[in-house]
Amino acid sequence: MLTEASVNLLESYTSGLSSYDEVLDLNGVIKPHWKALFGTIEKLGIGELNSRNQEIVSKLRENGVTYNVYGTPDGMNRPWQLDPIPFLIEQKEWNAIAKGLEQRAVLLDLMLKDLYGPRNLVKDGIIPAELVFDNTGFFRPCTDVKLPANQQLILFAADMARGPDGQMWIVDNRTQAPSGSGYTLENRVVMSKLLPELAQGMYVSKLSPYFNSLQNTVLRLSDKSKDAPNIVYLTPGPNNEAYFEHAYLASYLGYTLAQGDDLLVRNGCVWLKSIDGLQKVDVIVRRIDDDWCDPLELREDSQLGVPGLLQAIRMGHVQVLNAPGTSVLENHAFLAFMENICQYFLKEKLIMPSVATWWCGHAKELSYVLENIDELIIKKANRKTRFRSIYGRLLTSIEKEDLKRMIEAAPHEFIAQQEVSLSTTPSLIDGNIEPRYAVLRAFMVADGNGYHVMQGGLTRSSAVKDRFVISNQYGGFSKDTWIVSDKTVDTQEKVTLITPASVNKHVSLPSRSAENLFWVGRYCERTMAVIKFMNITINVLNLDRNFGGSAKQEHIKVLLQALTHLSSTYPGFLDETEDKFQDPYKEVIDMISNISRAGSVASNIGSFLNAVGAVRNQWDLEIWRIVDLIDKGFHSIRNASSMNSTNIQKTLDGLFNNMFTFLGVIAESMPRDNSFLLLETGKLIERILSRISVIQSNFGVKNAPAVENELIEATLINHHLLVNYRQIYKSHLSVEAMLDMVLLEKKLPYSLAYMLDELKKNLGHLPTTTRGERLNEAEKFVLKASTLIKLADIADLSKSNRNSEREELFDLLSEVARLISSVSTTLNNMYFSHTLMHHSFFDPADYDTDEI
Amino acid sequence: MKYKLIHKTEYKYAQAVNNYHSLLCLTPRTLNNQSCKDFSIEVTPKPSELVSRTDFYGNTVHYFSLHSPHKTLTVLTKGIVERFQESTGSLFMPSEISCATVRHRVQNDRSLKISLIEFMLPSPSVKWDREIVGYASDCFQESRPLYECVQALCRKIYTEFDFVPDFTTVNTPIKEVLHARKGVCQDFSHLAIACIRSFGFAARYVSGYLETLPPPGKQKLQGSDASHAWISVFIPDYGWCDFDPTNNVVPGERHITTAWGRDYTDVPPLKGIIFSYGKHTLKVEVDVIPV
Repeated sequence: MLTEASVNLLESYTSGLSSYDEVLDLNGVIKPHWKALFGTIEKLGIGELNSRNQEIVSKLRENGVTYNVYGTPDGMNRPWQLDPIPFLIEQKEWNAIAKGLEQRAVLLDLMLKDLYGPRNLVKDGIIPAELVFDNTGFFRPCTDVKLPANQQLILFAADMARGPDGQMWIVDNRTQAPSGSGYTLENRVVMSKLLPELAQGMYVSKLSPYFNSLQNTVLRLSDKSKDAPNIVYLTPGPNNEAYFEHAYLASYLGYTLAQGDDLLVRNGCVWLKSIDGLQKVDVIVRRIDDDWCDPLELREDSQLGVPGLLQAIRMGHVQVLNAPGTSVLENHAFLAFMENICQYFLKEKLIMPSVATWWCGHAKELSYVLENIDELIIKKANRKTRFRSIYGRLLTSIEKEDLKRMIEAAPHEFIAQQEVSLSTTPSLIDGNIEPRYAVLRAFMVADGNGYHVMQGGLTRSSAVKDRFVISNQYGGFSKDTWIVSDKTVDTQEKVTLITPASVNKHVSLPSRSAENLFWVGRYCERTMAVIKFMNITINVLNLDRNFGGSAKQEHIKVLLQALTHLSSTYPGFLDETEDKFQDPYKEVIDMISNISRAGSVASNIGSFLNAVGAVRNQWDLEIWRIVDLIDKGFHSIRNASSMNSTNIQKTLDGLFNNMFTFLGVIAESMPRDNSFLLLETGKLIERILSRISVIQSNFGVKNAPAVENELIEATLINHHLLVNYRQIYKSHLSVEAMLDMVLLEKKLPYSLAYMLDELKKNLGHLPTTTRGERLNEAEKFVLKASTLIKLADIADLSKSNRNSEREELFDLLSEVARLISSVSTTLNNMYFSHTLMHHSFFDPADYDTDEI
Repeated sequence: MKYKLIHKTEYKYAQAVNNYHSLLCLTPRTLNNQSCKDFSIEVTPKPSELVSRTDFYGNTVHYFSLHSPHKTLTVLTKGIVERFQESTGSLFMPSEISCATVRHRVQNDRSLKISLIEFMLPSPSVKWDREIVGYASDCFQESRPLYECVQALCRKIYTEFDFVPDFTTVNTPIKEVLHARKGVCQDFSHLAIACIRSFGFAARYVSGYLETLPPPGKQKLQGSDASHAWISVFIPDYGWCDFDPTNNVVPGERHITTAWGRDYTDVPPLKGIIFSYGKHTLKVEVDVIPV
């Protein structure tokens, strides 16, 4: 029974409709599953729905779900938008749609094989030759780049919209490296966690069979003789708008996420550069477009691809899906010929129509288009031409004539499409349920015999009323898409995963990820070291100012200069041309908030967040939650100049605590593999260097006892040792006792002796190329540093020379710092040396000299 | 004529190169009027493999890669090439088919059109506009034989342009060449192709070698021959007819064909991707020695 109120909610929605809507069938009757959904929403209450919506927003944010938007002020990492109201399609209707989609996939696969094969479609006059030879997606080097399978089109996505006749229409095809399936999955995960009640009384089909089917297809393509095939998910990298999805799917599917220069072709095989050396790759699932795949044979300026990849595919040593060249199918002009192509290949009619399309290369179509330009959208047949679609009706008569002239000058380059008519669907807009236009992307994967259609999809809908802008790049939000029925459908296919005979327990870490993890450790510690010491300094400064001192006191000067040394924000407080001690806050605030100043807290956190983002697939949700908090802190400290000193310190404290938590979660949860070791190593190297810097600045020169006492206290706090020190030495402050503790005490985590021992241990566990038990270069440096410290005589170190310099202390610490910096360089050469970029010399400038 | 062909390319790098991937398009084609024997490619340092493949246009392409540090790379090709008399006879009896007839025949013969279309459309290095059409308009008249028109165009380019090495690179746009009135064989070929295509006819880019003759009374110097480029135009009943706009001649026995495509980008003789920073220098020596 529906309550009175639910009728009202539905009624008020339907009464506000201005065009055809998903909720109503062709006769204007409300579809039963929509009635059920509205009933559930009613029971939940619109208020509750809104508060769940807030939870969804923060959940997506926490999980780091982003879709990057190019060229906006915010730049990258725009949070993914999910509407809590799903898009519903009844199972029976979906089955019919799926048939149409399967037919389309089969057809496109046949076209692909024909276009890169005999080209009978052209020879028999089914399509004009221009559609192949003037198609920027037709790559001549790809005619012999094939998968060893019946089907060449493995992954396929189609955008659909509902026409006024109630039928679904195909609006667009995605055949190279379709995006969206990862967002679809994440939408479902979030919805089922935060709004489980919505599905009450309905059965919603699962998405997982699609992904299992994909995994099976990939396994079938891999080297049969190998138990544990090496599968790589190839991404253009963190700057790509859908990088979240790449990392998400790679980790969901269990593939190694890699970028082009993580891979290398040698002896006809593709290899992954990992810190264990080169690992042979069997299958590549690519998310980079055709023309970027191989700079040797395709776009020579591509830095995203792998030189020699096409040759490796031809030799059969690696399988890439979809095979490079599939963009040929993305040409808009094919939509005009699909009916004929279908007749030609399958001797049947298209089950699902395409949006009406005219190719202007034929005289009859051209004159139709020119006459009816007001009702049409004009596009270039080729994608990627920087040509924005033109709506005829929006043009002035002068613009219209210009457009006509442009088309007539090169008619075969243009197509015209009927303006797509879309249905509206209930969406949560500013707290109310309102109709918005929607388009649905469906996903298919070849499964050996036919195509598996995902039971669901990615619905994208417009944020504004009465207008539709499809692209994610221009705003809009997404919806979970539910294929629903009253009862569980037993016939719903289940895909059983092919399990390889054995699994590869050792996962090799790509060199790039290794390097990023190392820098996550370094930047994290570097930021924390600066914040920690900065807070100590600000406390001393505040104490002094509030209780009648002057900022020009000697110990404050030393601390402020130590801060400049520690953060390498020179000249800072070492600037002799300007007296910054009069108002030290100004410089301190700049040191905190100025993102474009190397060494500032803001710039270090920025680098930290970049490094974290570049190895996105390494992190658990718990870690993302912390990273999100750090990201928030990052945004607030950039405005530090408008805060008072209490708030600045609060924000800095918050950041410090969150970063401490970040390290804590890692220490408690991260597997003790090479990833962990590299992060720890980076952290330790930075910790050693930063502590050395502070000791050198504070005690390199001997000061009056009163000044030294202040410095000893600050240093002990900086080493997390004040409590411990007081327990032993009570209130007696001595440089000698302090140095003994911070340098030699083996059980204190911030003493040099302890940190060097830890570093040595870590390095010993990393993969090594040296023979047997021999130490590698990095280990030798640490051993030397550790020995120097342990052999040191504290009494000698505490002494100063005639000029009040503690020469021995200073030199010893300089040598240790030099050795530890060398460790970093050595690691770089051992594990990260992949960063050498390739470039083409396709066009040596002096080549022509010998030509005539 | 029979020639011994030797083509040596040497790269020297300022810094050692660790990885190198390369494609070579250097094998003379086997044609009705050309045969090639004892062809060999020698790459130093020696790659683990040299894979050959026939490309989209029927040219032979070789792929190799190097993975050990090297500061010098040499590619040396050798072969015995024999050139026969023109079998089409076009050299002595030029085709009389008018432009109008050619246009009509291509438009009305679908399979012919399909085989020619990609040499009629713009390609990566060959695009045209009104200015280019304007440049060639005095060469093309509907009633005039196409063969004559192309000859007139080649003559025009030959007389109006200066052969100046080093002024252009392989990436210099045709328009720049047109404005400067100077360039090398590749530029003149691209310009000629653009003009011919702009009038609706099929033209392709031919890459190869040319035997040069020493100045009278002088001895020919070693390495003085050169890689060369010219064009080929499709004329019904005759097939593809070669023209050399750089030298204003109809290519004959002294031209050796290695490859053809839509333009230079389809058939660069050598191309490579290196993993290195730093500069490199290049030395090319070609010998086409009559035997």
